[in-house]
Amino acid sequence: MNKAKDPFVRVVKRDKMHPLLMVAFYCIAILAALLVGAVLLISLGVNPLVLYKDMFTIGMIGSRFAYKSIEGLLTVFTPLLITSLALSLAFKMRFWNIGGEGQFIMGALAAATVALRLGGRMPSLPLLLLMFLAAMLCAGVYGGVVALLNVRFRTNETLMTLMLNYVALYLLHFVGETQAPWNFYLSSESVRPVFQKLPKAAFMPTIPIGKFSLNISFLFAVAICVGIYFYIKKTKQGYEISVVGDSVSTARYAGMRVNRIIVRTMFLSAALVGLAGGFYVSGAQALSTSITNNVGWTGVIVAWLSKLNTFAIFGVSLLISIMQYGCQVASTQFPIIDSNFADLLQGVILFFVLAADFFIRFKLVFRKSAKQQKGEEA
Amino acid sequence: MKKVLSIILALTLTVLCFAACGKTDDAAGNDANSDFLVGAIYINSQNDTAGYTYAHHNGITTAMKQLGMDTAKQLKIVDNIPEDTEQVSKAIDTLAGQGCKIIFGISFGYIDAFAEAAEKPEYKDIIFSHATGYKSNDVNFNNYFGRIYQARYLAGIAAGLKSLKLQNNNLGYVAAWGTEYAETCSGINAFALGAQSVNPKAVVHVNKISTWGDEAKEKAAAETLINTYNCCVIAQHCDSAQPQLAAANGKVFGCGYNSDMTAQAPTSHLTAPIWHWDVYYKLAIETAMNDPAHFMEKVGIYYGGLKEGFVDISPLSENCEPETAGIVEKVKTMMVNGEWDVFTNVKLSIDANGNITKNTEAMKDNKGADVISADGNTYFAYNTETGALEAVDGGKDACDGVIKGSMNYYVAGVVEG
Repeated sequence: MNKAKDPFVRVVKRDKMHPLLMVAFYCIAILAALLVGAVLLISLGVNPLVLYKDMFTIGMIGSRFAYKSIEGLLTVFTPLLITSLALSLAFKMRFWNIGGEGQFIMGALAAATVALRLGGRMPSLPLLLLMFLAAMLCAGVYGGVVALLNVRFRTNETLMTLMLNYVALYLLHFVGETQAPWNFYLSSESVRPVFQKLPKAAFMPTIPIGKFSLNISFLFAVAICVGIYFYIKKTKQGYEISVVGDSVSTARYAGMRVNRIIVRTMFLSAALVGLAGGFYVSGAQALSTSITNNVGWTGVIVAWLSKLNTFAIFGVSLLISIMQYGCQVASTQFPIIDSNFADLLQGVILFFVLAADFFIRFKLVFRKSAKQQKGEEA
Repeated sequence: MKKVLSIILALTLTVLCFAACGKTDDAAGNDANSDFLVGAIYINSQNDTAGYTYAHHNGITTAMKQLGMDTAKQLKIVDNIPEDTEQVSKAIDTLAGQGCKIIFGISFGYIDAFAEAAEKPEYKDIIFSHATGYKSNDVNFNNYFGRIYQARYLAGIAAGLKSLKLQNNNLGYVAAWGTEYAETCSGINAFALGAQSVNPKAVVHVNKISTWGDEAKEKAAAETLINTYNCCVIAQHCDSAQPQLAAANGKVFGCGYNSDMTAQAPTSHLTAPIWHWDVYYKLAIETAMNDPAHFMEKVGIYYGGLKEGFVDISPLSENCEPETAGIVEKVKTMMVNGEWDVFTNVKLSIDANGNITKNTEAMKDNKGADVISADGNTYFAYNTETGALEAVDGGKDACDGVIKGSMNYYVAGVVEG
């Protein structure tokens, strides 16, 4: 009777899939994306094996200074990891903090302000602590305000955080381009406006391992990763976040103070992004108007691709960092490839992973042919 | 079925990969310099087809071809690098790691990353060369720029002659920046002085857009100059050809920048100040390749002009007044010979027949103050903090330093807006 209305293909929810199979699905998606990339590369006359080899070894093979490749990778990886972790906290609560860019900038600005104002006056350790505290506070408030407005006046947090990105960015441009007696951010020796270098005491310490020097901020990033895992899995606050994320009414019914949880979590999320900004400026030893390297945006992608899973975030942000940094290195071998290729490949991977995601949750059921149906009936 | 397809596809790709591999391995040459690697860090894409990065990329590849080098193999580029010290340092590490022996950075904000890299002991055998900067060391770090103001003076002559003919003394100038940067400021002044040498009544209206490149703003600024200030020639110091297109639309004339914009505006373009970056790149790469130990003596802080062929104006278009070619040639020869230069106490006055008179007098800014003394031995600039006009140290020798770094006034006959 229903046969005429039965569509050719239907989307049906799957039963729970085995985790290993899920991982396999994602790996296939990434491989498929690389394959699409390879087709594009071949059409450009570029050997994909050579490019991918350089990309995934971040150019260490044949490099005179291979250890510098790791240092370079970590400068990309550390801010991305912390930012993605921080954003995942808010996302877990279904609070759409896409203001990572702005919070990162506010953190970096605050840390640089402390460094430039108090630089010569105190030893390194308290100065660094103050810088990072300022970064967290400043960015935390910058993000926390959005949460406050959201719980008080039901403002849309997506729009608010998005717009505040531009406020922060143009504030940074303003201090970076305005030469005036008050502007202590700029170098006084250059006629053109250039950001001043931070005082030595504000530099992030590094641990020398042979020629390689390990930036301490990476260790902090790993610690933050572990910390967030326990925060979400093992603490009451972490549990509250996931309940609010699942259903605000359930949380209210359970007697949770939802507004407070939202503001607290958003403050924490933004503060951690700000900390990433503080780490970056301390490692880079100077501000710049392109300081974020888009981590606020890339972090959103990482958090999504990882399904907000803390350890998956570690893996995915490492993969994306290797792609971004590795592509820059690899592109030097081929005039036709520039760093935009990394973005393109990243987009293709995202596309395929989302597709894999779909097929993990759903399956397609095709309309049975008349013959099959007959067989079943019999 | 699907599996079979994907296996076939994978196999095909693998075969293609190896095929491509084989190709690249064959072509290695045996020339002594065939393994010399040049590194470059660009602010925009190496695949740009116009603009600042394109000009440099074109310069480097042209120079390398003249030196018989293979740009596909011997030129390593990291592009789209913003002015962020950390990102520039990473790009330097990448190029150094691949074995580049000279690394060029084309954007001003790369300055600190380059200065730091040059001091690193592991990079002692690499030469760092930074465009538009002011830092250097004695061994392996220089900066390079050019006397583009000389070319702007010549373009000013072409514009001045046009304004005489049209009996309209208003010239327009779309500028990325004004007195904030000596680079834009000296360019505006040189253009105005060139125009005034043939038309003493010429007034240059500067419309500042406060960004190095924004096509919409460049266009709007040019339109304002044409419609509000009645300008008859639109000159420019910004990235795109938009001001020239606006000039063509407004039925006025124009002087472009960076490339011969007659191509974009054939009915209105006169001539454009242009760079021959390859002149520097050839010198720098050749020296780095053959005598790197004496790079700083042989190349050093490079500031080439018309004499070296580093700057010039594009061929005069048919839109120019007929007497332009003769006059421009004469003035150009004076600069090439070192007989006369723009920012001195000698002002040129050129009559309709092309006779050049030299008048020795103080150069005045548009507030009436002397900025170059009448004897030519003192250069002045405004103190950015107090606003007072102060003599620049160094007497006569301060000239290049003022043009490159401290000039922050407009000469008489230039108005902002």
